[in-house]
Amino acid sequence: MQKEIKHTFFFPHPAEIVWDYLTKPELLSQWLMENDIQPIAGHEFQFHSKPALAIEFDGIVYCEILEVVPFRQLSYSWKCSPTNNGYKIDTVVMWTLAPKDNGTELNLHQTGFKENENDLFYMAMNNGWTKQAEKLLQNLNSNSK
Amino acid sequence: MTPQTLDAFQVIADSSRRQILTLLSKDSLTINSLAENFQMSRPAVSKHIKILYGAGFISIQDIGRERYCILRQDGFNEIQDWINYFDKFWITKLKKLETLLNNKTNKK
Repeated sequence: MQKEIKHTFFFPHPAEIVWDYLTKPELLSQWLMENDIQPIAGHEFQFHSKPALAIEFDGIVYCEILEVVPFRQLSYSWKCSPTNNGYKIDTVVMWTLAPKDNGTELNLHQTGFKENENDLFYMAMNNGWTKQAEKLLQNLNSNSK
Repeated sequence: MTPQTLDAFQVIADSSRRQILTLLSKDSLTINSLAENFQMSRPAVSKHIKILYGAGFISIQDIGRERYCILRQDGFNEIQDWINYFDKFWITKLKKLETLLNNKTNKK
């Protein structure tokens, strides 16, 4: 099962231009979503877009800047659907810019999607699960010690 | 009897309950036909079924005179749906960025 998202795009532009489109709210909103981003570690901001009813997504993404390496790397938390017990989606989005001969390669990596316990169970059950389930139990037991 | 509520890990810690789920993953079964697979008493099987029901692993449906246990699959794929959603979302958005940047070049 896929647990993360990765995409690579190439733009025939210098990294500085691509960086601006990732970090300036007025440029970022032109292609992504309305936002109040500032490329400063610890800055909390939100993205607002149309809700997606099929997955009960209200369209709000809660973010906090984690790391900024100007023109090279930008990461922020990406959380959706707050519940009593944290966020249903609690992930990290990492942008990496690699200068190339005629432009910039932009990599997107979104990680941290996790299942609830029933999902873990179900996955385990699908993959010859007794062994898997025992492994999960062992992990759980060692974590709770 | 009040059904016990255990978390998913406590539920699968028990080999009889794992066996019940394995049987139900092949077909929905009545409590009686499930019980035929076990040495233990029917009330003991019933107790395990209540635990599985309480933890959301199975649903119970009356069909005719029989009560059927059905493996619940709803919700199991929820995270996958979010991943699929954002995967497509990013492709669409990044293509939009590509168009924006290309137009920028053309205007120069």
